[in-house]
Amino acid sequence: MPTTQPGKKTILVPKIVNGVPSGEEEIVVDDTDAPAWGPKDKHRLLNTYLPRADGPHKATGTAKYTHDIKVPNMAYACFVTSPHAHARIKSVDTSAAEKVAGVLAVVPLPNVEEVRFEGQPVAAVAAKTLEAAEEAAHAVAIEWEQLPFVVTAQDAMKAGAPAAVNGGGGGRFGGRAGGNRGGNPEQVLDALKSCDVTVDATYTSVIMHHCCLETHSVVCDYSGGDSATVYCSTQGCNSITTDAARELGLPASKIAGIVYNMGGGFGSKFGIGIVGQWACRLSKQLKQPVKLVLTRREEFLAAGNGPGAIQTFQAGATKDGTLVAVHCIQQALPGIGRSNIAAQPYQYRAQHTYREQNTVNTNEDSSVAMRAPGHPQACFAMESLMDELADKLQMDPVEFRKKNVPDPAWIRQLDAGAKAIGWQNRNKTPGKSANGSSLVRGMGCGIGAWGGGGRGGCVATVNIGQDGSVTVQNASQDLGTGTRTYVRAIVAEELGLDYNDVLEEIGDSRFTNGVASGGSTTAASLSPAVKDAAYNARTEMAKRVAPHLGADPSAVLFADRQIAGNGKALSWKQACAFLPSGGLSVRGEWKPGLSGNGAHGASFAEVEVDMETGHVRVVKMAHVQDGGLILNRMGAESQINGGMIQSLGMALYEGRVMDANLGVMVNPAFNDYKLPGCLEIPELIPIIDDGDERNVVIGLAEPANIPGSGAIANAVANAIGVRIRELPITPDKILNALAQQKNV
Amino acid sequence: MSSPSSSPPAAENSPTTGKLPAVSRRGFLKGAAVAAAAAEGLLRQPPSAAAAPAGDPSAPVSGPTSITLKINGKDRDVTVEPRTTLLSALRDHLDDPLTGPKLVCNAGTCGACTVILDGKIVYGCSVLAMDAVGRTITTVEGLGTPEKPNEVQKAFVEKDGMMCGYCTSGFVTNLSNFLNKNPDPSLEEIKERCKGNFCRCGTYPHVFAAAQAAAKASKG
Amino acid sequence: MNAFEFANAPTVEAAVKLLTPSDPKTDPDQLPRALAGGQDLLTTIKAYITPAPRVVNLKTIQGLDKIADDGKGGLKIGALATITAIEENETIRKNFPGLAQAAHSIATPQIRNMGTIGGNLCQRPRCWYFRLETVKCLKKGGTECYASIGQNKYNAIIAGGPSYIVHPSDLAPMLIALNATLTITGAEGSRTIPVQDFFALPKVSVRRENILKPGEIVTEIQVPATALAAKSTYLKFKERESLDFAMSAVAAALEMAADGTVKDARLVLAGVAPIPWRVPDAEKALIGKKPDAATLLNVAQIALQDADPLEHNAYKVPLTQTLIRRAISSLTA
Repeated sequence: MPTTQPGKKTILVPKIVNGVPSGEEEIVVDDTDAPAWGPKDKHRLLNTYLPRADGPHKATGTAKYTHDIKVPNMAYACFVTSPHAHARIKSVDTSAAEKVAGVLAVVPLPNVEEVRFEGQPVAAVAAKTLEAAEEAAHAVAIEWEQLPFVVTAQDAMKAGAPAAVNGGGGGRFGGRAGGNRGGNPEQVLDALKSCDVTVDATYTSVIMHHCCLETHSVVCDYSGGDSATVYCSTQGCNSITTDAARELGLPASKIAGIVYNMGGGFGSKFGIGIVGQWACRLSKQLKQPVKLVLTRREEFLAAGNGPGAIQTFQAGATKDGTLVAVHCIQQALPGIGRSNIAAQPYQYRAQHTYREQNTVNTNEDSSVAMRAPGHPQACFAMESLMDELADKLQMDPVEFRKKNVPDPAWIRQLDAGAKAIGWQNRNKTPGKSANGSSLVRGMGCGIGAWGGGGRGGCVATVNIGQDGSVTVQNASQDLGTGTRTYVRAIVAEELGLDYNDVLEEIGDSRFTNGVASGGSTTAASLSPAVKDAAYNARTEMAKRVAPHLGADPSAVLFADRQIAGNGKALSWKQACAFLPSGGLSVRGEWKPGLSGNGAHGASFAEVEVDMETGHVRVVKMAHVQDGGLILNRMGAESQINGGMIQSLGMALYEGRVMDANLGVMVNPAFNDYKLPGCLEIPELIPIIDDGDERNVVIGLAEPANIPGSGAIANAVANAIGVRIRELPITPDKILNALAQQKNV
Repeated sequence: MSSPSSSPPAAENSPTTGKLPAVSRRGFLKGAAVAAAAAEGLLRQPPSAAAAPAGDPSAPVSGPTSITLKINGKDRDVTVEPRTTLLSALRDHLDDPLTGPKLVCNAGTCGACTVILDGKIVYGCSVLAMDAVGRTITTVEGLGTPEKPNEVQKAFVEKDGMMCGYCTSGFVTNLSNFLNKNPDPSLEEIKERCKGNFCRCGTYPHVFAAAQAAAKASKG
Repeated sequence: MNAFEFANAPTVEAAVKLLTPSDPKTDPDQLPRALAGGQDLLTTIKAYITPAPRVVNLKTIQGLDKIADDGKGGLKIGALATITAIEENETIRKNFPGLAQAAHSIATPQIRNMGTIGGNLCQRPRCWYFRLETVKCLKKGGTECYASIGQNKYNAIIAGGPSYIVHPSDLAPMLIALNATLTITGAEGSRTIPVQDFFALPKVSVRRENILKPGEIVTEIQVPATALAAKSTYLKFKERESLDFAMSAVAAALEMAADGTVKDARLVLAGVAPIPWRVPDAEKALIGKKPDAATLLNVAQIALQDADPLEHNAYKVPLTQTLIRRAISSLTA
């Protein structure tokens, strides 16, 4: 039995050897009288490999998503969208649409007289079946007056180009300029003169798409009356109620917002959006439930995107490998929106830096947050620049980086990544294969960082029934990041229960306040609240059970589904039987100390390029990622893999393509906007950086997605001996670059 | 090997896979073995819809029409239009819908709607519901349940072969069918087989691991 | 998707009847459509590219999916044979390896399980603009080929104009290389023509890629036993190895003489022209020669001599030349 010492207490914890529970041991910890994670290597569930709590339902097709909701008397709605990049509506004729059998409502969107991007919704239709709704939407006849538009950055930067948005325009060379700047440009240009090597280069990344497999969708279950249930595929469950209340004219407290599961968000799904707005409005008008789901084409055209960027550098370093001066003009390409690309020189330290960021607006849907907003773009450009400088210095790119990073975490990670990829075998003769074959290999690397961290406001509830059942509730949603899993695990571990003894109930706005999933903050915001609630539940249980054991509540142990003290033990069920019939309901909230911020990562890639076809095969990738206390190692590794794969897509395949003459996106489909598939997946090595000693929860979803594209771009350059400065690096670009090099 | 799929083995070996012989359609009609009954029995239209001339099985039908689909071993009546896809029939038109197969691209380019039709995997979004009459349809729900998953489903949970889960039923359906035919696939064969199933979260490595684990488990 | 009628055709004759429009002047996009695998058809209907008033299911026709021996070592393939059936057919794998490879290279297992050889030959072109619901391009009755002045990375480099589509079929180039023929059945009966003559350039027929008249369907493909069949291959280059269409591909079939020279050759390109593109001059340059590096370079050069790339697709020239060299090498190594 543990003895209590002043300021310290002894607790019994599972003994973990190489991640495998091996009995128990006693340890002494600070008695903070508050929840504490305890030593990182002493967890029974956290920081181990846990199967996903929702896995059995997802694997059998029984997990319900917003797309899957069908309620009685539900109508199907869809949008009519603009075929033009910029146009004025002269007239709308809904008569043919209204004649389609089964149509219930055809509503031109109010206050939309002028559209500013292709795909902008202009009318909404509801019908008894999806087939009828789509047919009717197609039958809405709109007379348009086309207006001048601009859909490529190149065109937007030309003198006299039409303004895509009022007051917007062509960036530094056009309209909206000087979004933000920092540093002294003259000093930087001066410093460049004293550098041993300099690089002048422009790097371009294009607009990308989130491609959530579940498109934006809402089911508004309202049939008149004083309450409604609104199902929404959103990253912010709590935002459903206020948004929907406004549209339905009901008090927010009378609306249940539901996100049981969602098929991806990646930053594109906050609030109920225009989809939810019109599901609610049509539902209110018809007094019947309405489901509105974007088509894949609409998802591409009108559900947000990740901005492109054109970044022009003048940079220099000295022979000893010191990055001295970086001058960078960054043009963000966010369609009609605004966006920020992370400031250069990104994660590197340089004595003299200047950066200036401008926006180049085009008649395309507005950019929104997309997994690590602004970072992969900045990282790709900066990491390409670093390799170009290293080449000129004839210095190993890893060594060059290690000399210029401000945090030792990256030195540790660069070493670990280099070892995993086999950096010692990096190509010493780029562009030349050993045996006369057309296949050449190359390696590259990059580093990234993300803030993350927890925010206040999350409140979790732990309910313990007289029958021993335990539920933990919170309104937060699981994007697929594994929220359900750690919510369950934290409570089970704290109460000494098995993983499957606890049921998590999340994604329902009627539960205590959750957090919107943005900026990799969900885990760091929610897990402390859950931990606090679990701690409070344990304390409360101890208080109630201790008298039955004849023990001091502070000396009661929770382990092995038992509550023990004073040499006696009760099974969890026996102990719970002492609870009142209503059981026990305990809350906890986010508090500082359990979460932290600042995640670091390093990516390495090895590629093989066929110099005669331009085909790039990624052979292997490794990504080293820290994240403080890892709640679930299996989920974390899945996230790291996912980050590597998304950056692989950015590097080699993905990008929105616009036709400058017509003002339309030419590839709004999965045949033509190419996501990496099974055959594109290399050997992937996800490495959790256990050298990170911080014992706090830090999100890691976004940082894993940052440095991979730069690493691959560098690997391609190392393979073929030519630098491609524009993403995606497709075979045509490689063949063109190699042909150009030959002609020089 | 123990079958990781609960789809009927008879269908897997059917020599008529890929076509729809009139005999199998007639055989499917409950108690109606004569050709004359085919039109009204197979594609039963409500009186309001344009009725097909009796006795002509090739007469075009239009509008809402009642059909029977054999899904996960059960005959299910459902009213669809000629343009209704099999996927939409399952998800939107069935009274008790089967929403395991997902609508993602509606263009045969992602694999999330994969179902097993007469023993072969197909994209549910790219088959008309009426074209599936008389055939054997298996969805992910027919392969196992949370309480009683098949080997592939078990392995997906163990290896974390999913994140958001939206591509998962397509992968599970594809691989369950695959392992019936190829119980010991190489990594390359798994990738080749799943080249028409896409995931955005990036779970692929764990999907491959799950496929390999399921193959191993099935072999016992 | 527009509403349409659905009919199960019990016989070829019934199908032809159901597919024949009452008004012979019907716009080609408004014609009744034959449903075989439907893998392309449904996509084009959904996107209002071919808003068909009627869909006629051919799969209810008995026996149209057979793959049979023609009694002389050749093949008679019913138009409804699935791509999977062709890919997995033991005779084809053994005696017509290029055809099995071409079948295997198509799309995805799901598509190959539904898709048929007839549908593969009759599928509509890949071109971004053609596939956009909102763009009425030349092929859809409009006045412009927007690809010719727009985003044409994937478009034709040979024989383009006035439309610059590429034909997406992988089976067609291989069948042409194998001297295959096909049978078309319509109201006036059947005719059998070389597969090569099935396709029509945009300058001949801008709205349609083949010579099928309204109401006609492809019913059978015949692949003769020739000395070329055994040494046949299909080499396809895709931007993405998972589901994708060819950026360029080569169907090659060779007959070798005992002295190591090429006795006969067929080279057909895909992904570079509006129809499968045979290159007879390149074949001639190969016949009678030993396929050494210099010969292959010359053959590849000649094969692309008529290439006239657009703004964004010049890369297809060296790419296709590489594929030609590799395809021939793989057959002679």
